[in-house]
Amino acid sequence: MNIVGITACTAGIAHTYIVAEKIQKAAEEAGNRCKIETQGTVGVQNGLTAQDIAEADVVIVAHDIQVHGLERFKGKPTVDIPISVAMKSPKSLIATIQKKLAK
Amino acid sequence: MDLREILNPEIIDLRVKGNTKREVLENLSIHLLEQGYIEDVKQFVDDIFLREAEGPTGMGEGLSIPHGKSETVKKIGIAIGRTLNPIAWESDISDSGWQETNLIFLFCVSVDNSYAENHLLLLSELAGKLGNYGRVQSLLSAETADEIIEGLVSDKDEYECDRTSEEEIVELDIAL
Repeated sequence: MNIVGITACTAGIAHTYIVAEKIQKAAEEAGNRCKIETQGTVGVQNGLTAQDIAEADVVIVAHDIQVHGLERFKGKPTVDIPISVAMKSPKSLIATIQKKLAK
Repeated sequence: MDLREILNPEIIDLRVKGNTKREVLENLSIHLLEQGYIEDVKQFVDDIFLREAEGPTGMGEGLSIPHGKSETVKKIGIAIGRTLNPIAWESDISDSGWQETNLIFLFCVSVDNSYAENHLLLLSELAGKLGNYGRVQSLLSAETADEIIEGLVSDKDEYECDRTSEEEIVELDIAL
């Protein structure tokens, strides 16, 4: 599976980056490709390209504040969750997505 | 850029005293004051608590990452402390909403960051590293400030996928 996503937390200092890493690790461990764009205090990092998005099977948006650029994902299966869900259960998140997409 | 630019052994304390969140944050902040990162301990800790009120900063595995922006911050940095006693800390990770914290990464961020973009980038890189279970485990057992710093700057593969968390995999109630 090709996974792309965005993380954005309230302060934009810590959770955004920690959760991006957790999703990345959980996705790769389960045999997926994954790229997560962070939208934090320093702006957008690891930005998703049009090609990243075109190749993606699913989009994960983990956020506590409004994120920018959601229109890029039009027509893609998208999971919209609070940061805390991905913080607590990154592996379950990936496993649940895999199960749902397989149906 | 090098993470060592924001890692300073003088603001790493592996024997932080205190029994409450406020006590350990104050004791860690005294190092920030002494090293010229902040000008006022009480104001800084009060600003940290403002951020704490918005949502938990307990990350599980005994790790907490309190952070916030404060007018009293003169220099961006990160104070790292291991507590002598486990500290009750709000957390999204546990079902109770609380965890026991032993390791604290206290992010010290100024309000006007326009001049410090470089250090903010380093801080975000550091935060990402704390999302790695294997790395956090190694930091929890570090015995010196230098071991903490080496554990953070290292890009060794041993910290990568082979040591991920022991999270029990369940099906989540999410819409797709």
